[in-house]
Amino acid sequence: MLLERLSASWLRAKALIHRRKLDRDLDEELAFHLAMRARKYGDDPAAHRAARRQFGNPTRIRETCRELWTFATLETLWQDLRYAVRTLARTPAFSVVAVLSLALGIGANTALFSLMDVMLLRALPVKNPQELVEFVRATPDGAMMTNLPYPVFEYFRRDRGALSDVFAIGWSRPVLRAGGVSRRASAHEVSGSFFPSLGVQALMGRTFGPDDDRAGAANRVAVISYAFWSRQFGRDPSAVGADVHLSGERFTVVGIMPPEFFGLDRGEVPDLWVPLAVDPDPGEVWVLGRLRPGVSVERARARLEPLFQQALESLRDSFKLSPERERKKFLSQRLLVNRATEGASGVRWSYWEYSSTMKILIGLTGLVLLIACANLANLLMARSAARSREIGIRLALGAGRWRLVRQLMTENLLLALAGGALGLLVAGWGHRLLLGFLVRDPLSVALDFRLDHRLLGFGLALSVATGLLFGLMPAIRATRAGMYRQRGASNLPLAKSLLAIQIGLSMVLLVGAGLAARSLRNLGAADLGLARESLLLMDVRPAAITPQARQQFWMELTRRVSGLPGVRSMALAGDAVFGNGGWNQTVWIDRPGEPAQDAKVSDNLVSPGFFATAGIPILTGREFGERDRENAPLVALVNQTFARRFFGNENPIGKRFGDRGQASSGRYEIVGVVGDAKYGSVREQTRPMVYHPLWQEPPRASFVVHVRTVSEPTALAPSLRREILAIDGEALISEVRTLPQVIRRQLRQDRMFATLASFFALLALALGAIGIYGIVAYRVAQRTAEIGVRMALGAQRGDVLWLIMRETLVLLAAGAAIGVPAALAAARLVKSLLFGLNPWDPPTIAGATAVLFAAGALAGFLPARRAASIEPTLALRSE
Amino acid sequence: MGAQDKPGDMVQGTLDMLVLKTVARGAMHGYAIAEFIQATSNNVLRVEEGALYPALHRLELRGLLASEWGVSENNRRAKYYKLTGAGRKQLTAESEHWNRMTSAIALVMDTA
Repeated sequence: MLLERLSASWLRAKALIHRRKLDRDLDEELAFHLAMRARKYGDDPAAHRAARRQFGNPTRIRETCRELWTFATLETLWQDLRYAVRTLARTPAFSVVAVLSLALGIGANTALFSLMDVMLLRALPVKNPQELVEFVRATPDGAMMTNLPYPVFEYFRRDRGALSDVFAIGWSRPVLRAGGVSRRASAHEVSGSFFPSLGVQALMGRTFGPDDDRAGAANRVAVISYAFWSRQFGRDPSAVGADVHLSGERFTVVGIMPPEFFGLDRGEVPDLWVPLAVDPDPGEVWVLGRLRPGVSVERARARLEPLFQQALESLRDSFKLSPERERKKFLSQRLLVNRATEGASGVRWSYWEYSSTMKILIGLTGLVLLIACANLANLLMARSAARSREIGIRLALGAGRWRLVRQLMTENLLLALAGGALGLLVAGWGHRLLLGFLVRDPLSVALDFRLDHRLLGFGLALSVATGLLFGLMPAIRATRAGMYRQRGASNLPLAKSLLAIQIGLSMVLLVGAGLAARSLRNLGAADLGLARESLLLMDVRPAAITPQARQQFWMELTRRVSGLPGVRSMALAGDAVFGNGGWNQTVWIDRPGEPAQDAKVSDNLVSPGFFATAGIPILTGREFGERDRENAPLVALVNQTFARRFFGNENPIGKRFGDRGQASSGRYEIVGVVGDAKYGSVREQTRPMVYHPLWQEPPRASFVVHVRTVSEPTALAPSLRREILAIDGEALISEVRTLPQVIRRQLRQDRMFATLASFFALLALALGAIGIYGIVAYRVAQRTAEIGVRMALGAQRGDVLWLIMRETLVLLAAGAAIGVPAALAAARLVKSLLFGLNPWDPPTIAGATAVLFAAGALAGFLPARRAASIEPTLALRSE
Repeated sequence: MGAQDKPGDMVQGTLDMLVLKTVARGAMHGYAIAEFIQATSNNVLRVEEGALYPALHRLELRGLLASEWGVSENNRRAKYYKLTGAGRKQLTAESEHWNRMTSAIALVMDTA
């Protein structure tokens, strides 16, 4: 059988090449037969006729034989394809709209899918990633945190049953001194077990192990990332063995990691890895481990929980000054063990943090795909209606119905595949865009964006399914109609309801876009309680170590910067007035005759002139001044919320509180009240805040310099930098920023949401308008004769216009009737993203409706106007 | 492949067998095959051209027949078919099958 097939294929292939010869031979063979038969009958014209009569239809025989000799399926497929390309090219507008709408729908969905895949689903490129687990602490109030107190790692190392390996990662931002410039580097301080346990090799040189991770190690070693090697050393191999200076310490580079190694957090690749032992006080660390073979996550948790509790117990003393409640809360934390096959959860958690945005985006793109599909179905239906005459003729000429359906499906699949292919391009560009919005610094992120085969499959499957699902019905309908129902009128109600649904979905997107845009505007214009313009902030850290030297540096900096032309005022603060949000503190408020009351507040350390510089008003009392120095009585300012919450209607001036335990409640005297402001983000609830005079505390290693400028603040940055470096050439100046820049960074997600929502809404609107235009134009063509009759009977242009427009308006009203309730239901889901407005925002819904009707009416008006300008005589003749 | 034949009065498989049997006598062209079958069967089996030619081509594609162009008795170019090795084997198998079938049917018909 196989041999037969092979020989047949071979013969067919030969025939394919000698196609002409095959046809000629067949003709000749049959002609010979006819001639012989005629000769038998007497070889006169009558005999020839008789022979032919007996012979039957020679064309049919020839076709049958010919088909035997060809690869029939392939050839008809090729024919169908060529025909489809020609047909699609004949209606470029239709084809472009169909392909583009599919591409955008599929592209947006694939982009989101790929982002989820990269962030959540892909395993780490290390040895046996499925054994990796990470440890998380859960507080009694349900918060979960991956940063664990360092002793937890020390205790876990004693385990011999559950883990085959355990390692810790701390993080620091040391000052990197290179080429006469100081800048911040990002370093991961990792235990000696980190590299051996992950089983990764250095690209050049070596990684480090437990021997390098000892407090007394002979020299300090560092392993650098590929990105850092490229940036800092220009990929010079002699970097191995070179020295780097981190926060005044010398480290020797012993190895360079390959580009695909990013550690355990895809969200952030550090510049270098250094042994954990170099940090005398690691504070909090990530702890990860490898499960022993056969040990389940649950068993590991059960075995490690006692060690975790012992570690917490060892820290009991550090809560001496905290209220009892705090200590209890700390000690009642529990251990969780999570699989970390896909890496540490930094990115994944920020993903979940953003997940409402992601979920809404998935919903949005799903809607867009749905709209694109509905639109495609509509276009295809309108198209098959328009082609019903052609299809009818082909059916009448004997074309098989299945053959016609196949022909139409070839066109649909071609459209879908083109849409899918373009969609993958859109996806490639889209997930970069999404990621840019989602992570802080896209350059430092090691996300692998090669489209893998699953993604490719996903996109193609989506497009083919779309083509089949939404193309088959119109194709079957079109061929069923046949000659007699070529009007295709029967599928109009279906087309109209599809269109109404499509309009309704567009309405949902329009409302979403409106809400996002209005919310973004509210966020941008929100009252922060401070003057956001003309304010320049920068973090400054002098090289000075001793308190005297630091004091001198800060005094000199204040003097020099104040004197600069273009500077209206300046101040120093421990935390930036906006963006960081201050340090969380527990304070005890003095209550004469009762025990002190403890309260959670934020605090900040500020120099005289801070409130004028930041634009925060002093409401009562006084500001800090020169007299609030080291040996003067300790004073504080509080904000309005603090005053109102803890003192009610009493005058807060002269009241006292402390921040060093219950007994310290008389420590500070409140000397004034300042206005409320936002400290961390635009969205935050105003919280109680206290300010202390900067000069009453020992001088810190770094402060945020606040400068109020006369004009454009960033223009002043170079001269400020020069002045500061003139005091200390090794001072680190970083994060030079203005408040609008900080706010813009904070609102990145809101902007992404608003941008994407508007884009999708516009797309949906455009698709809806095209749909309306298509249907109305079709109806006008169909009713040409009727319109002619009406006009002949005296109907005015306005009447005809109304006749056609009425249909459009009914469609739009139906769409709005579906869309408004759907939008109201959907708006509740975006509630968490909105700022300063209700999800059921009447102006937004009214606006969306107005836009929808305007666009829809315009789309309907164009064909309606054409209908109204029909010449009655021509119209009557059109049938 | 879609090319369904109209076997006329004969079952398709039977026509194939008859064609193979006919050609076993030596290379023949289509017209001669049709005439031979009709004559040999005393005009009982009339082979229609609409069935004959597709059958010939199918047998050729299956490798049971080989074809070549030759000159006919009246000096015209004609396509001659002859049996291949595979065709001979197929013919033997089909003849045996046919004989078994007919004798079996005859047994039933005679007995009943």
